[in-house]
Amino acid sequence: MQPLFMLYSLAIALGSGFLGALLGLGGGVIMVPLMVFLLGVPIHLASGASILAVVATSSASASVYVRDEITNMRLGMFLELATTLGALTGASFVAMAAESLLKTVFGLSLIYGSVVMWYQLRNTRRSWVNKPNDWLAEKLSLGGSYYDEARGEQISYGVSRTLGTFGVSYVAGIISGLLGIGGGGIKVPAMNVVSSVPMKVAVATSNFMIGVTAAASALVYIRHGFCDGFITAPVVLGTLAGSYMGARTTGRLRGVFLKRVFIVVLLLLGLRMIASGVGF
Amino acid sequence: MDRVRLLELLVSRLLRTGVLMSGVLMVAGLGLLWATGDVSCPVGVLSVSWVLFGDPFLEPSHVLFLGFFTLIATPLLRIVASATAHLVERDLVFALLNISVLLILAVSFVLGVG
Repeated sequence: MQPLFMLYSLAIALGSGFLGALLGLGGGVIMVPLMVFLLGVPIHLASGASILAVVATSSASASVYVRDEITNMRLGMFLELATTLGALTGASFVAMAAESLLKTVFGLSLIYGSVVMWYQLRNTRRSWVNKPNDWLAEKLSLGGSYYDEARGEQISYGVSRTLGTFGVSYVAGIISGLLGIGGGGIKVPAMNVVSSVPMKVAVATSNFMIGVTAAASALVYIRHGFCDGFITAPVVLGTLAGSYMGARTTGRLRGVFLKRVFIVVLLLLGLRMIASGVGF
Repeated sequence: MDRVRLLELLVSRLLRTGVLMSGVLMVAGLGLLWATGDVSCPVGVLSVSWVLFGDPFLEPSHVLFLGFFTLIATPLLRIVASATAHLVERDLVFALLNISVLLILAVSFVLGVG
């Protein structure tokens, strides 16, 4: 393998691992186009490397977020049921799906998510709206608290409209199964907007969850020979380093700033997905 | 220390250990591949015997793929650990949630490989 190729792979992985950990996105959706268009890696090998990179982002960042008590593990475990069930449903119907239509609809829903988040941010000037636990969250003890490093205070929060977020997570899982993507772009807005969970907690909890479905997909990718060791190893190593840096940065950022960055990235991802759906 | 915090520390350490182990194995695998000039990497391998014992054991690409498999196993082991912890705590709802997720993943994997 050429040293320059490895250097570029490492740089791309470092950047997408950092952003993935910072925004709860996994980073695969950023990495694949860069590897295909900049490095000329065949798309199936780029996807194979990226799915392992998503596992790397999830585990590396979650080890930091869980230790720092930002992740809401109970909420994550509850929503994991929805995303894995959804992924199984999606994978079962993958042969029947019209991929271009699906990408366009998914792109539109990402743009819708970013507009709703922007609207909420503009009206409230806060990265989240504090609401009490609803009956289900109360029953399952889903509410929590975390120490916000940037604000220097302990923040307590409830989880509202739990079933709504469970439903949206199920849909996110279906899309993951159909398109082979992580679905963090839906999980973070669902937790933040539907369930009124603080932005940092939503990001950390999304990262906690995405590794699980990605791990199951990664095994299938390797089994089908979509994993070139020379491409995948540098990408995963770069992602691990980037994710650690990203997870350590999140705590120091203001929630409002994090939400602004998330809105912009979500909008760009939505536009890219639509472009890909209509054949650009 | 309360029980929730204990589970958080257990999960965090498990994830960090898994990630570090996989990183070390990948670096070692890449290093061995370069040192031996071996440029062939196996594809389409997932037989349990190859994952565990290689062919031969710990050949460079086997070491590299052990790194990948350790990485993949890490979040799955996290669910096993937390299912066990919830069972011990008699938090049956969350133990059942974790076990259901593992079962769904197993079905997805069997269908995906099929």
